[in-house]
Amino acid sequence: MTVDQRTAPSEVTLIETVRPRVGLEASKSRVRRQVWLERGLAIGLPLAAIALWQLASDQAWIDSRLYPAPTTIVDEGWHLLVDGRLLGDIQASLYRILVGLAIGATCGLVVGTAMGVSRTLRAALEPTLNAIYVVPKIALLPVFLTILGLGEAPKLALVGVTVFFFVWVETMETMANVPEGFREAGRSFGVSQLGMLRHVLGPAALPQIFVGLRVAMSVAVMVNTAAEFIVGDDGIGYLIFNARALFAVDRMYVGIVVVALLGMLLTALIGAVGRWLTPWHQSSTRIR
Amino acid sequence: MIGSRHAPERVDAVGTVRLDKRGPEAAPWAVDAVGVGKTFRTTSRSVEALQSMDLRMREGEFVCIVGPSGCGKSTFLRIVAGLLPQTSGTLRLRTRSDAIVPIATVFQDYGIFPWKTVLSNVMFGLRVNGVARRESRERARHWLGRTGLSDFADSYPATLSGGMRQRVGIARALAVEPAVLLMDEPFAALDAQLREILQEELLAICEADRRTVIFVTHSLEEALVLGDRVCVMSARPGRLLAERVVPFERPRDRHLRESPQFGAMRAELWDLLRGEVEPQRAAHAVGGVRP
Ligand SMILES: Nc1ncnc2c1ncn2[C@@H]1O[C@H](COP(=O)(O)OP(=O)(O)O)[C@@H](O)[C@H]1O
Ligand SMILES: [Mg+2]
Repeated sequence: MTVDQRTAPSEVTLIETVRPRVGLEASKSRVRRQVWLERGLAIGLPLAAIALWQLASDQAWIDSRLYPAPTTIVDEGWHLLVDGRLLGDIQASLYRILVGLAIGATCGLVVGTAMGVSRTLRAALEPTLNAIYVVPKIALLPVFLTILGLGEAPKLALVGVTVFFFVWVETMETMANVPEGFREAGRSFGVSQLGMLRHVLGPAALPQIFVGLRVAMSVAVMVNTAAEFIVGDDGIGYLIFNARALFAVDRMYVGIVVVALLGMLLTALIGAVGRWLTPWHQSSTRIR
Repeated sequence: MIGSRHAPERVDAVGTVRLDKRGPEAAPWAVDAVGVGKTFRTTSRSVEALQSMDLRMREGEFVCIVGPSGCGKSTFLRIVAGLLPQTSGTLRLRTRSDAIVPIATVFQDYGIFPWKTVLSNVMFGLRVNGVARRESRERARHWLGRTGLSDFADSYPATLSGGMRQRVGIARALAVEPAVLLMDEPFAALDAQLREILQEELLAICEADRRTVIFVTHSLEEALVLGDRVCVMSARPGRLLAERVVPFERPRDRHLRESPQFGAMRAELWDLLRGEVEPQRAAHAVGGVRP
């Protein structure tokens, strides 16, 4: 570092600076304005996009047979809803996603916990599971179809396997990496192995497990939709694919919108359950 | 292993250890460590963390251990706590058979669980040892009261200041009524003012009902304010270098620090310790490693 000595004493002038004061009320309203701006942008931007789409369609800037206007999609959705067809498909997809998720998450938690706790088990299984982890799960659908037939089973298996890997990896990684200090604190009070899991390792890993679950949920919606394209005759995936085959473009878009909303809703649900189960995490990270 | 067990003449204990100041004439012994050492062995190399530590404590005695960082103080506490087996020497402890947790530890960090409320943290040691929920809660509330945490029972640690968090660690350890309390630099992360306040609180608690405490610190003042005896350890691999009985009357107050005798003892301890800290510094200065 060099010292700048270019100014002769005679050239120095004094500068007085007064920092402007912002009253408490003013700063509070400024924060509130910022919050409203953010909310407005979050909702306003997609609304504007939809409005533009509507306009483009109405003005025939785009081919409304290929890109039906939002109002057309809503109309079609309403019809499908009223005649009960849509609800049946939603129900079928929801069933597969939720049951698959339950199976996959349970297995992921059990295997992840066991491997997170036992170094030996980790050494034995991790390389193999890691290798399967990178296989696109949808590629396993033919295998499941071959083994499990054409009913619900192959789709449940596919969703389950997908969810399993996300939950497994998060559970194992976080449990294995719980800081030694926490374990030591537990052991210093003579906690049993089960107690260690319940009081130390489990809660330490829980926030990260929910991160895994959230990702798992959105991917579960994805693979389930893809599986429904390929086999079966119900579910939102089938609705979309079948509409395309019939060139019922409006209906196809209804399916896409519904599956998007379903995914959003389900991941938000996981997030909410996660926040409810890990209040400490929330209170330490949420911006107030 | 030559030299792993230190020669007794190395310990320049000043006379006999007087415990009578705070307890019955001949309090029975509680901790007896002779030549306790620990060598960590990994596949590639081994580290002698602790060469030989000797410590004989009477029931109700408060011993402070000071020593250069890395000399094995934490390792010694872990061995006493039963978290780590020693590789040499013998360690004997005398605790009541009906103790819930005979030896409890207050850790410097990572001690308390962020996912438990303050109350649940303090109840932890009781609950995992089968004490009923009601009783656990009552006992925990008692200790929250004594550590000034009553208003924070339902808070999560993340919302507390550093001082409050360390109080939780202390309350959690005391709630199990341990026969021996181990404290590993519990106030090291706190600012100077807060540290003094917590020292005073700890003094008050320990003077109210005497308990056997091993307190590791790197602050000589802290050691003299709190301890009945100060043990000075050598640089790594650590061994007991010297011990001094702290002659100040109890109950002690904060003006103790200003007394000339306090200053003199502090200087004496620093002279002992300086010799251990300096060579390390010299070695670092020339980029070398201590042989
Ligand atoms: N688990 C371990 N494996 C290998 N070396 C360790 C381990 N724990 C501590 N050590 C080493 O032992 C020495 C003493 O550590 P520690 O007892 O933590 O020192 P202190 O608490 O006095 O600062 C240090 O050099 C440290 O690196
Ligand atoms: Mg230490």
